[in-house]
Amino acid sequence: MEVFYIDDQPVPFEKGEKILSAALRAGLEIPHFCYHPALSVVATCRMCLVDVTDLGNGRPAPKLMTSCSTDAMPNMRISTKNDKVQEGRELVMEYLLVNHPLDCPICDQSGECTLQDHSYAHGTGHSEMEYNKRVYGWRDIGTFVQLERNRCIHCSRCDRFTREITGTDEFGMFNRGHELTLDTFSDRAMTNHFQGNMADICPVGAITEKEFRFKRRAWKLRKVPSVCTGCSTGCNITIEHDRNEVLRLKPRENQDVNQWWMCDEGRLTYQQMNEREQRLAKPMGRVKGKLLQVTWQQLYDAVADRLEALKPNGEQVVALVDTHSTLEEMFLLRRLLQEVFSSDQVFYSQQDWAQPESEFFIETLITTDKAPNQAGARLLGLKGSQEHDIINVMKSAKLLLVLGNPFINEQSLLDLAGTTELMVHIASRQSEWTDRADAIFPGQNYAEKEGSFLNKQEYWQRFWPALRPSRHVRPEWQILSELLHMGTATPVQQTPQFSQVFQQMTSIEHKLFGNLALEKLGESGISLADLRQQSDTLAQTA
Amino acid sequence: MLEETLVLFRNIRTPGYDGTLDSYRKAGGYQSLPKALTMQSEEVIALVKEAGLRGRGGAGFPTGLKWSFMAKNTGKPSYLVCNADESEPGTCKDRELMLKDPHLFLEGMMIGCYALGCHHGYIYVRGEYFPAIKSLNKALDDCYREGILGPKLLGGDYGLDLTVHTGAGAYICGEESALLDSLEGKRGHPRVKPPFPAVAGFNSCPTSVNNVETLTNVTAVLEMGADAYKNLGSPNNAGTHLVSLSGHVNRPGVYEVAMGVGLRDIIQELGGGVRGGKQLKGVIPGGSSSPVLRADEIDIAYDFDSVGKAGSMMGSSAIMVFDEDTDVVKLLHRISRFYNHESCGQCTPCREGTHWARQLLRDFLQNNGSERKLNRLQRVGRNMGGTTLCALGDAASMPIVSFLKKFPDDFRHYYATAS
Amino acid sequence: MFSPETQQQVDRLFSRYPIRRNALLPLLHLAQKENQGWLDSKWINHVAELCEVSPTHVEGVATFYTMFRFRPPGRYHLQVCTCVPCCLVGGPEILEHLEHKLGIHTGHTTKDGLFSIEEMECIGACAYAPAMIVNEDYIEQLTPEKIDQLLDSLATTPQEQETHA
Repeated sequence: MEVFYIDDQPVPFEKGEKILSAALRAGLEIPHFCYHPALSVVATCRMCLVDVTDLGNGRPAPKLMTSCSTDAMPNMRISTKNDKVQEGRELVMEYLLVNHPLDCPICDQSGECTLQDHSYAHGTGHSEMEYNKRVYGWRDIGTFVQLERNRCIHCSRCDRFTREITGTDEFGMFNRGHELTLDTFSDRAMTNHFQGNMADICPVGAITEKEFRFKRRAWKLRKVPSVCTGCSTGCNITIEHDRNEVLRLKPRENQDVNQWWMCDEGRLTYQQMNEREQRLAKPMGRVKGKLLQVTWQQLYDAVADRLEALKPNGEQVVALVDTHSTLEEMFLLRRLLQEVFSSDQVFYSQQDWAQPESEFFIETLITTDKAPNQAGARLLGLKGSQEHDIINVMKSAKLLLVLGNPFINEQSLLDLAGTTELMVHIASRQSEWTDRADAIFPGQNYAEKEGSFLNKQEYWQRFWPALRPSRHVRPEWQILSELLHMGTATPVQQTPQFSQVFQQMTSIEHKLFGNLALEKLGESGISLADLRQQSDTLAQTA
Repeated sequence: MLEETLVLFRNIRTPGYDGTLDSYRKAGGYQSLPKALTMQSEEVIALVKEAGLRGRGGAGFPTGLKWSFMAKNTGKPSYLVCNADESEPGTCKDRELMLKDPHLFLEGMMIGCYALGCHHGYIYVRGEYFPAIKSLNKALDDCYREGILGPKLLGGDYGLDLTVHTGAGAYICGEESALLDSLEGKRGHPRVKPPFPAVAGFNSCPTSVNNVETLTNVTAVLEMGADAYKNLGSPNNAGTHLVSLSGHVNRPGVYEVAMGVGLRDIIQELGGGVRGGKQLKGVIPGGSSSPVLRADEIDIAYDFDSVGKAGSMMGSSAIMVFDEDTDVVKLLHRISRFYNHESCGQCTPCREGTHWARQLLRDFLQNNGSERKLNRLQRVGRNMGGTTLCALGDAASMPIVSFLKKFPDDFRHYYATAS
Repeated sequence: MFSPETQQQVDRLFSRYPIRRNALLPLLHLAQKENQGWLDSKWINHVAELCEVSPTHVEGVATFYTMFRFRPPGRYHLQVCTCVPCCLVGGPEILEHLEHKLGIHTGHTTKDGLFSIEEMECIGACAYAPAMIVNEDYIEQLTPEKIDQLLDSLATTPQEQETHA
C-alpha cells in the first residue's frame, strides 16, 4: 500500500481515498463535523482543514485544504499541528459558536458533544460575539426524535442521512445563508424506522432521542457491548446503563452485520431489560396445587425425586424452547435430553420470516423474525415446530421442559401441559407456562448474563452482561448445567464458568463451531462460514 | 481621446439595428458558424486557444484551455452551459448582448457546442432578466423556424438544440458548480471539487460552463482569426471587453474597449468624469468582490493582469465610481449585506462570517463603533478568505479587508466623533 | 392543476431535459405564475409529483431562491434595487419614497392589493441606476417624479393589460 505523511508519520492509503479517511483508519485524530464514513462528502464544516506542505510533487497547496475531500497522494506531506492549522481550527470554532446557544447545562448531548470536544481542544476559549444569536422556531417532528434547531451547526448529516441512507427524503435544507435550516417538510413528521440513528450522527444536541431526554447525563453512563434481540439481524449494540438501569441502547459499528445503524424498535428493547413486574424472581415449586418459594437445592432435589419415580423414557420427554435462548442454552438443553433421557425431542418455535430487499441497506435490517436465534436452533439440530407434529408427541409426554416462553399463543400446546406428570419452566419472565408449571427456575435476561446468538446470516455474535441480576436468579446456562448433573452419582459440580460451558459446546460440536475458545469470539463476532474455512485450513495444515 | 473598439457592439451601435435574425444576417451574421463547421472540433478549440480568449465571467481563465479539459470518450453526452446569471453588483453587460444582439451570442454558443461535441446546450439566465429571456427565446424560435437549430444545424448533419433555463434569484448560482446543481433542479450549492465539471458536470456528464460575453467573443474569433483577435488588447489579455461603468459618473453605461486601455481614461473620457464636479474618492474596479482602489491608484491599464498586479481584480469588468461625499462605511455595509443575503449557508466561515460582519458594520453606522470592533471586523473579514468551499467567501472577504486598509480613517471617524 | 395552455408549456419543458427533475426551476416559475404570483403547499406537492421528486426536495429548492414567494404579492410587485451601484445613486431613497407614497413597509402589500414592495439585490441594471422591476418589466433611471407617474398610471390600468409577476 502507498503511504503519505501526516506530521511525519507514514499513513497507508488506498488509491482514491481521502486524507481524513486514511488518517482515521490509522487512528489519528483530525477534528471534523460534517464528515461521516457512511455519507457523501460535502466539505462544508471546514473543521478538518490541514496544511498540505507537499502535494506529492514538491509544491505546497496554496491554502488550507479540507482533508475530507482531498485525495491522498503518494509522498504527500501534511501538517496538522502548525500555527496555520491551529488558526484555521480556531476560526471555524469561533464562527460555529457565534450562533450556537449556550445550552450545555440543559442539553442531552453534553458530555458526548463533538462541538464541546473540539471547542475545548481547538477553540480559543473566549468569545467576541456581542449580538443576539439567531433563533429558529420550534416544532415537534415526530415520536422518536426531538429537533432543537437553535443548536444546529448545519453539518447536514441529517439531510444526507434521509436522502442517502433511508431514501425517505424527509429531512432537507431550507432557506439559505444564515437562515439556513435543517428540518422536515412543512408540517410533516418523520416516519422512517431509523430516526434514532439521526440522533447518533448529529454531532450536537440538535437531534436527540425523546426516550432518553433528560434521563441521565452522558458521562454517568457505563457501556457494555451487546447484541440487539429485537429481530434476527442482531445489530451490534452498546448497552448504556447507570445504577443498574439500562438508559438506552446505541448501535455499534459492524460492517458485516449492521454497518453503523440500528432500528428504532430495537432501541426500545431497552425497556424489556429494565422490566421487573413480569420477572420470575425466585425458584418455586408447586405443592398440592399451590406455588411455594423454595431454595435452589430443594427444587433440584424435588425434581430429581419426581423423575426417579417417573423414570420417563425417551419418547416421554419433551422440551420446548423459544428462539430468544442462546446457543449455549440450546446446546445444554439438547444435551440434557440426550444424556439423561436419551431423547431428541427438543422443539423450537419455528417461523417463516421475510428479509426485506431494498437498494437501501438500512431497510434490510428489520426482519419479520422478532427473535435473535432461530438460526442457532436450526444449526444445533433442534426440531422446528413447522416440520414436526409436536401435539402428537406431547400427548405421550410425562416430562415437559419449557425453556423461555415459546408457543404462548398455542392453546393446544398449553392445554397439553396439563396432561404431563412434571412440567418445568426455566425462564426469566412469567407467562402462561408458569401457571402450568410444577417447578419454576428463574433465569436472567440478556442484559444480565453471557451468551451468544447466531443471526439470520449465520453470523455468530456474543454479548456481555451489563446489569447486576437479583441474587435469586441464575443464568439459564447455569441452571441447565446443574440439571444435567442432578440426580447423578457425581455430586453437583462446582458452579461452572461460562467459558467452560462455551468450550464444551465448541469442542463437542467442533464441526459447527471449530473448537473456538471464548476469548477468540470478540466484539465483532465471526461468520460461521469464515470460521469453518479457517478451521478447515487449520485441520489441513495440522 | 479614448474611443470604443467595436467588435461585439458593432451591430448594437449601428443606428436602426434591431437584433432580429434578418438584421443580423444582413449585417453579415451566421458566417462564422459555417466556417467552424468545416473544421474539426479540435481545430476550433485550438483556434480559440491560440487567440488567447480569456473568460469574461470574472475569473479570466483561458477558454481554449478550459475546453481542452473536457473529458473525452466517456460514453456520456457532453454539455456546454452558458452562464448568463450575471449577478455581480456593477455588472450589466451580458444583458446588452442578450437583449440587443442575441444572435451574435447564439452563434458563438453554437460554435462552442460544435467544438465540444455537445448536442444540447443550456443557457442559464438569471430569473430576474425577463426582457433578456424573452429576447433569447424569440431568437431561438427564429433559429428553429429557419432551420438553423434542430436536428440539422444549418442544414448539415450535426444536431443541436439550445434551451433557455431560468434561474430564480441567487447570486451563488453564478458559481459554475452551483449553477450546475441549479440547472439539475436542486438548491444552488457549490460542489466539492474534484470532480471538476469537465469530468462530471451537468447530470455527471462532461460539461463546460462559459460566460455570455466569452461565447460571443468566439463568434468574433472565428470571424477575424486568431492573430487579428490577439492583436486587439494587450499581451496575454487578448480582445475587447464590455465595461459596465456605474456610480458617480456623468455618463454611466456599458462600453466596449480593447483590453489594456487606461482605467482612468475609461472613467474620464468615456464616462465623462465624476459628476457634479466632485472629486473622485475611490473606484471598485471589477465588481463588488474586487478590492477597492483609491483615487490615486487608478492610473493602471485595465486588463486582467495589470489590475491583478495593482492588488485588485478586473473580474467582470464592472467599474463603480464613488466621489468624495460617499460614506464609505455605508457602502461597505451595503456590500456586506449583499454577501450575507447571497451566501448559500453551506460552509461555516461564510454563513456565520457574512452575518457577523454585517452586524459589526451596522454597529458602526449606528455610532456604536470602536477600535476593538474595527479589529474584530478586520479579523472576521480576513478569516472568510481562503477557508471556504467556494469563492464567495473570498468575495465577501476582499471588500472588507481592502476598505479597511484603504480608508481606515473613515471608520475611525465614526467612533472618534461619537466618543 | 395547470390550465390546458400552460400544461402544453409544461410538457414541452420536460422534453427539453434528460431528467425530469432538471425542469424544476422553470416549472416552479410556471406554477407561481399560474397561482397569482406565489406558491402554496398544494402547488409544491403537485410540482414534486410532476418532477418525480419528494416534496421536501421541492420545498428545499423553493425556499433557497428569492424569486419564489410564499405569500401573495400585489397586482404590481415593485422590486426595487438598493445594491452597490444603485446605492451610490439614490436607490435607497427611491425605496423610501415608494414606501411613503404607498404607505407600506418593504415586504408588504397595500390594503387594496394593488402594490407590493420588495427590496432587491443587484438586478443587473447598474449603468441605468436607480432601477426597479415591476412584475416583469425593467423601469430604469428612476427619479421620484418618474415613480409618481408610474404609480398613477399603474393604478388606473385595467386588469387585462397587466403581466402577472
